[in-house]
Amino acid sequence: MSRRFTALVVVAVLLAAPLLLGNAFLQRVAALVMLAAISASAWNLIGGYAGQVSIGHAVFFGAGAYSALLVYKLTDWPPIAGAPVGVAVSLLLACVIGLPTFRLRGHYFSMATIAVAELIRIVVSNWQFVGAAVGLMGPAVPRSLADLSFLSPLPYFYLFAAVLAVLLFLTWQMQRSRMGFYLGAIRAGERAALSLGVPVLRYKLLALLLSAGFTALAGSLYAVMVGFVDAESALGILISVQMVIIAALGGAGTLFGPLLGAAILIPLQETTNALFGGGGTGLTYIVYGAIILLIARFRPGGLLELLHWRRRRVA
Amino acid sequence: MILLQVVVGGLLLGAVYALFSSGLTLIWGMMNVVNFAHGDFVMLAMYVAFLGYTVLGLGPAWFIPLAAAVMFLFGLLVYFALIRHVSRGPMLAQILSTFGLALLLRYSAFWVFSANFVTLPDTLVGGNFAIGGLRLQASRLVAGATALLLTIGLDLLLTRTALGSRLLAVAEDRAAAQLVGIRPDRMQALAWGIGAASTGIAGGLIALFFYISPTVGESLALIAFVTVCLGGFGSVPGALLAGLAIGVIESLSAYLIGPVYQDVVVYALFVLVLWVRPQGLLGRA
Amino acid sequence: MPNVRRRLLLLAGLLAAPSLPLIAPPAAAEDTVKIGVIEPLSGGAASAGQAIKAALELGTEIVNTPYPDMQGLPLAAGTGFPGLGGRKLELDYADNQGSPAVGQNQALRLITQDHVVALFGAYQSGITLTTSAVAERYGIPFLAPESVATNLTERGFKWFFRTTPIGPDIARAYIGFVLDQRKQGRKIDSVAIVNDTTEYGTSIAEVIKKQADAEGVKVTQNVTYNVNATDVSSQVLQLKQASPDLVIFISYTSDAILYARTMKNLDYRPPIVIGDDSGFSDPSFIESVGDLVQGAINRSAFAPGRPGTLSYKMNALYHQRFGRDLDETSARSLQGFFVLVDAINRAGSTDPGKIQAALRATDMKPAQLFTGYNGVKFDDKGQNTESAMLLTQLQGKDYVAVWPQAEATGSLQLPYAGWK
Repeated sequence: MSRRFTALVVVAVLLAAPLLLGNAFLQRVAALVMLAAISASAWNLIGGYAGQVSIGHAVFFGAGAYSALLVYKLTDWPPIAGAPVGVAVSLLLACVIGLPTFRLRGHYFSMATIAVAELIRIVVSNWQFVGAAVGLMGPAVPRSLADLSFLSPLPYFYLFAAVLAVLLFLTWQMQRSRMGFYLGAIRAGERAALSLGVPVLRYKLLALLLSAGFTALAGSLYAVMVGFVDAESALGILISVQMVIIAALGGAGTLFGPLLGAAILIPLQETTNALFGGGGTGLTYIVYGAIILLIARFRPGGLLELLHWRRRRVA
Repeated sequence: MILLQVVVGGLLLGAVYALFSSGLTLIWGMMNVVNFAHGDFVMLAMYVAFLGYTVLGLGPAWFIPLAAAVMFLFGLLVYFALIRHVSRGPMLAQILSTFGLALLLRYSAFWVFSANFVTLPDTLVGGNFAIGGLRLQASRLVAGATALLLTIGLDLLLTRTALGSRLLAVAEDRAAAQLVGIRPDRMQALAWGIGAASTGIAGGLIALFFYISPTVGESLALIAFVTVCLGGFGSVPGALLAGLAIGVIESLSAYLIGPVYQDVVVYALFVLVLWVRPQGLLGRA
Repeated sequence: MPNVRRRLLLLAGLLAAPSLPLIAPPAAAEDTVKIGVIEPLSGGAASAGQAIKAALELGTEIVNTPYPDMQGLPLAAGTGFPGLGGRKLELDYADNQGSPAVGQNQALRLITQDHVVALFGAYQSGITLTTSAVAERYGIPFLAPESVATNLTERGFKWFFRTTPIGPDIARAYIGFVLDQRKQGRKIDSVAIVNDTTEYGTSIAEVIKKQADAEGVKVTQNVTYNVNATDVSSQVLQLKQASPDLVIFISYTSDAILYARTMKNLDYRPPIVIGDDSGFSDPSFIESVGDLVQGAINRSAFAPGRPGTLSYKMNALYHQRFGRDLDETSARSLQGFFVLVDAINRAGSTDPGKIQAALRATDMKPAQLFTGYNGVKFDDKGQNTESAMLLTQLQGKDYVAVWPQAEATGSLQLPYAGWK
């Protein structure tokens, strides 16, 4: 009982912190943490729980981001109206990508996801309709509340936190359900699972669909907050890698691992940039890279295991 | 005639890709370790070659072996400091740690050398000349020939020598290898060292005709990954074949369709091949 | 449960450690005037960003210490801002890491934590777009000395100002040059454009094609390629095959170097070569392959000019400090910098509204500028309507002004020489 109570207190404190701190920059960092946590937690569904390490998730993120601003460009509606379109597109993409690539194992699968993501990025960056290299812009000046263009980062923080809560709740339910059980089996050994009668392809696809949908949502939210999208910033390989890094750092295959990873990595990025970036010596990345390296070296399973929060980790 | 030039150019380019990937085949294929820092290893080798030329006044015949030696030692260092601890862990830990390593290497180079582009004079290994109507660059021919030799050498090493069979044994079944008296740690360290030395040779050669900058590894690394995967993990001849194929396909599609789509064609064909042959061209089934 | 407490402490520690340094101490009474500078100090565009930073550091020194020799240049004569009681200037640099989102973060940090009075940057047009949006929301003046994308001044922003010539101006210069050459009897019937598919490459190519169309110049070939190419042989072979009278390259440094080398390898010398800015102006490009592209024509808002002129003196100062001529990109940045500090000085206050008004009222004359602009005057979109540029040609290790005739300090050498 008291464990649950402390958990609630911690959550309440963390949610109230940005409000109390009153510092716009920190609030923005907090909002970015939530956004990164959404993508990483979404990735976690297929990469962590199902053990299929996709390094091409940027396509889903980009689908969401582009759809939002494309809908705005074509219809003048608030960009968030494009989010359902983004989700639909990414679900379609997930089917198209998943079906051929899921027969690949391990590193081959990862490489295939990279290749597909890069392919799509190049096509998009040359496609006039979606802005080609110039990219797409959101409303320059906010026209209504629906544009979700806030001066203060606080509304973004709470919005993203809400979306994350929904995602984590769904993940938790999934984890306890038959699907979670099957995914665990797939992760532990695909051939064995197959021989035991687990409908491997169906559940991998389900995990991917869920993952893709939420990643697309994250992409739309990103587009709404930043107000600009181009092939490099929404479909670049760094977007995919970032999701993987965050989930892995916190602990892939755990419920709160990606959130923890985001809560550490995003402020770390901001701090190193704030402290060293202006010097232009590259120290930012030296420190950042070294810290990631050290964490991976000493805690390959992610940092969440340091906290031993949930004894029942996915094996 | 122009088409022939395109194809020959593509072959030479492909040989460079194969060269660039040679160390990676060994490491990834044999040790099953994803090395996100591979491109930056080659970048470091290029700088070693550059320093060898500008500071020590060495010619290519010297600075290329120098780069190989330095990278060999560096590979051992990286193995013992990092890889040993993550190679048996989950793939994610490898991705995470080598990604951190990549940033560390890239920006250490950035700090020391700054962001500027530098080049070696393009006449170090002879200039360019024409045979028939074809224009060729001596440095690229040398790089291509070396790629071939390196592939053959590595393949022979792995399949015909006692050392090679020990390396393969460890790759196949670490515990069993240990039981027959092979020291897996030592073998893997050696594999890393040899892989790194290959990047040393690659970097030294590529520096002869390409530009050098801290971020040069980024552009080439992805092609290396595709090459190794397409060839089939663990197959050294596969990587050569894949590299050549990619080079030719890239050059032909660039010339016939448009340079913008060359990568699209390569990636599409890559995914197609994997669909039909999930283990790559020459990989183990 | 001591275990839980320990874990909570660990969690708190993990979360706090990276974030604590971000909580800035309350602003002490500042006696310097701070301007936030956001540039790419890492990543692919870092060499440009670093060069800009170096130039701006020189600029800061000129403002903060007396340089009586630089007559006409605002704030050079004395120390600091005379209009603000001699307060000194301090530049607060931030790295945009090549990302529009990071640029925004840095803008927010500079504005809310470091309390800068104005923002400056951000090189890449996409990043300038998002970064200036933050400035607009917070009511902080933003000066873009560099980014040429037309959409930046089409947003109806009130706090955004741009000093550089933009795409259409560049196109007019190039096509104007072509028409001039035709009048002098040179045959230019076919023009090829080679550009990468970045925002920079495509937008410049578009405006050139548009202007060419309007003036009856035929663009017969447009070779596009993806940035950071590993090989450009196919592109050069396509050009060699078509054999145009004029080739315009729009590339960043890495690709420009590849083009220079590949053209030599494949023995391809077009009659006239224009290499647009960016890559071709980069000092490391000239250093590496300058001797392979002799005679390449470039556009520049800056040329050292004749001795005694402000541009000549500025170049000499820069040369003394850095051992080479002031490059085009850094020159435009530095010029934008002087426009901004001049405006702050005229505002006589660090109040953003007053600085905005001072910027609006800017009316600088060529005698105060070291770039080749005809003046600095912002229209209601924030665009400098008096910007201009000239065409230069690589002769030896330097770019020499060759067009228009009135500004030329050297003679135009055609056909294109390339390598020896």
